[in-house]
Amino acid sequence: MSRVIGGFGISHTPSMGMEYDKGMAQGFDPRWQKWFDGTRRLKQWLDETKPDKMVIVYNDHLNHFDFDAYPTIAIGVAPEFRQADEGWGPRPFPSLVGDVDLGWYMTNKLVRGGYDLTVCQDLAIDHGIYSWLPYVMDTPWDTPIVPIAINMVRHPIPTSERLHGLGKAIRAALEDDGSNDRIAVVSTGGMSHQISGARFGIANETLDEWFLSKIGNDFSELIDLPQEELMRLGGTEAAELALWFSMRGALSDNISEVYRYYTFPAITGCGVIVFDDHAV
Amino acid sequence: MSNSVPFNLDPPGTYIYDGPASTRGYKLTKFGLSLRNPENRKTFLADEAGYMTEFGLSEDEIAMVRARDWTGLIKAGGHLQSMLKVAATVGENLWHIGAHNAGMSAEELQALCPRKVTALPGGDD
Repeated sequence: MSRVIGGFGISHTPSMGMEYDKGMAQGFDPRWQKWFDGTRRLKQWLDETKPDKMVIVYNDHLNHFDFDAYPTIAIGVAPEFRQADEGWGPRPFPSLVGDVDLGWYMTNKLVRGGYDLTVCQDLAIDHGIYSWLPYVMDTPWDTPIVPIAINMVRHPIPTSERLHGLGKAIRAALEDDGSNDRIAVVSTGGMSHQISGARFGIANETLDEWFLSKIGNDFSELIDLPQEELMRLGGTEAAELALWFSMRGALSDNISEVYRYYTFPAITGCGVIVFDDHAV
Repeated sequence: MSNSVPFNLDPPGTYIYDGPASTRGYKLTKFGLSLRNPENRKTFLADEAGYMTEFGLSEDEIAMVRARDWTGLIKAGGHLQSMLKVAATVGENLWHIGAHNAGMSAEELQALCPRKVTALPGGDD
């Protein structure tokens, strides 16, 4: 069986990606230098643990899908995933490497296990993954990934309980896959932020830090919270925090927190939390 | 210019994007998403109104795009992520959209952000 060696939750935002490119070329803006520094420990964790593969639960921002058909839950099954053009041209990074065998395997397990995924054999990936990945992993990005995209752009979005269950189903599938791979499960979603309406720019650091303090061992309190409460207090897009429950669901009860960091550079709360999973 | 951020999800503070908004703004959103393609961006910039007419937008919708009326476009069901592509194509960005929504200039909004609030579930707002 494959083993889930741990996982992490991390924010994403378009500016995180743009500021990386600027920062590497001419030095970071002080607000983003903090985030760069704050992600060094996660990069070290990935360098040390060297997961064979990563399952990444993220959300698309109308950069691949459109409303002709917008899947609530989708899985990417392809040898590679290109970078989406979000309207201002792609950034200078390679495509992501996929894992077709694991992708189909997980599709079978998850669909037969109650998660009716839309299967994408061509999936362009946006800042949901491309904004934070350069901070934590050097190119070439040769660690194969299985991306799972969750609708966060139009309500209704999946319930917190459902997303936690998805994580549990991911773990169950991996444990039964007949290989000996060491796998990291990742969830990525912005923390407090709202990018439309007069509440644009709301920044609730207290809420975000509270969330980080609970996601390890007190996550059930977070899952029981109505998503509207996260949106009311942290901005409409704080609903993306529900994605983090999939990462948590894929980990066992026998975890230890490796590292946690939080800062609020501009529009979106930027947090990261890393766990080792000790269950065999 | 106010920095008060209410803890509710009502307009004009918040426009929840739901099914009816998606239906109302289907053509607008589709038009904006077409600008993910660089060739389409060029075509649009060469003749904004003509390009939008091809997408079946109404006169009101075309006028709002021409006026960069980001708030009106969001109320009309244009999804933020789609309108952001329109903004990027015409040389504006998320700050311009947010500032229009918040009733201030982009510079004023940038100076205000992050608009820090403190509240936890179950606490006093």
